[in-house]
Amino acid sequence: MTAVALVENPTNEDVRNAYKLAEKHFGHVPNLVKALGSNPAMCKTLTEFVVLFLDEGKVSWKFKELVILKTLRSIKSFFSYSAHEALAIELGNSVSKVGSVANSLWQLNPEYTDGERAVFELVDQVALDANAVGDEIWDKLRAHWSSAQLVELDALITTFILIGRLGDTLGIPEPVVFKRSVA
Amino acid sequence: MSEKIAQLPLIEYEDADPLTKKIYDDAEKRFQMVLNIFKVTGHAPEMAEKMWNIFFEILSEGDPETGVDWYTKELLILKSTKMGECLYCVTQHEVVAERLGVTPEKQFDIVGQLYKDSPHYDEKEVAILDLCSHICLDPEQIPAEVWQKVKEYYNDGQIVEIVATVGAYIQVSKFGDAMGVQLEDAFTGHEPRLFTKEPPKSKAAAGHLEHFISRTG
Repeated sequence: MTAVALVENPTNEDVRNAYKLAEKHFGHVPNLVKALGSNPAMCKTLTEFVVLFLDEGKVSWKFKELVILKTLRSIKSFFSYSAHEALAIELGNSVSKVGSVANSLWQLNPEYTDGERAVFELVDQVALDANAVGDEIWDKLRAHWSSAQLVELDALITTFILIGRLGDTLGIPEPVVFKRSVA
Repeated sequence: MSEKIAQLPLIEYEDADPLTKKIYDDAEKRFQMVLNIFKVTGHAPEMAEKMWNIFFEILSEGDPETGVDWYTKELLILKSTKMGECLYCVTQHEVVAERLGVTPEKQFDIVGQLYKDSPHYDEKEVAILDLCSHICLDPEQIPAEVWQKVKEYYNDGQIVEIVATVGAYIQVSKFGDAMGVQLEDAFTGHEPRLFTKEPPKSKAAAGHLEHFISRTG
């Protein structure tokens, strides 16, 4: 059972607006949004925040999906993993590139750029001990990404640590994130 | 001893775009200063606005029907950020929690499992601190008895706020620590409580603590 009931028909205005935003963005209201529905403030603010990452930003959505997969794996979260695998492929990543997230082959796969590998190193270190993200990783990151992109990437990684924890703790199945085409 | 190094430049008010200025104004009203962690997000204003809205909600009295009071949320923040060994968050929230009435003695007992037998904590608080500890370690391993206790005292809306508060502070701790965000000068002189009771296990976090203490002199 889920830890909290999914709210199917909200009466609170903030929750209804969050559902409208989710419906427009995802093509349906994901289960996690419905699980947050019993707390209007959290439902509103978390939904508004998360939709920003699942879109084009300062970093391409195509690469952000790989970062999401890497992050979920790094914290051993199964929440929405297969849905994000499907999204990553729909957005144009090859099966080989998506598959390399699951093992250390992203370090060798020529489809990954040095900048992308540096981001994956950041993911691993943030998941393990964010205090220990050192100059060596940051030197590599700064060589490939702007400050704005790095803030977005750090926020993306840590936000999907939050989302993974939230989904796993509340016991929410999320087999499909998007019901509209994103390609 | 290792000094924390800010890995990205901070955006100061005079260099900020209009949206970032608005965020800084809101932050200053709430915290009497613009914290360094806000200034690093000045590089990505649209994202920053949505991110900080979550924390403005958490750092306030929750709705009495569907939320949790700020005092209780501070306990969750102290517990989750201590477990994440975030000197930046723990130091700030030792100060905030005390302002809200969480005594230093009560703060000391949040460390490890001391809260379970502490006279400073009631059963409701123990239940959510148990939940918080498991969320930080591994949500899959939350024992059914912990859920049972939490559900005895809290409704669904409150459980959402409890879990979201813990998750959000895991997020912001790691976000700031990865960037090397430094504690503001205003905290110099503050004597760390939770990390004195139980020093960090991470070598990097221990180095940051040692440097902060040396700053205090």
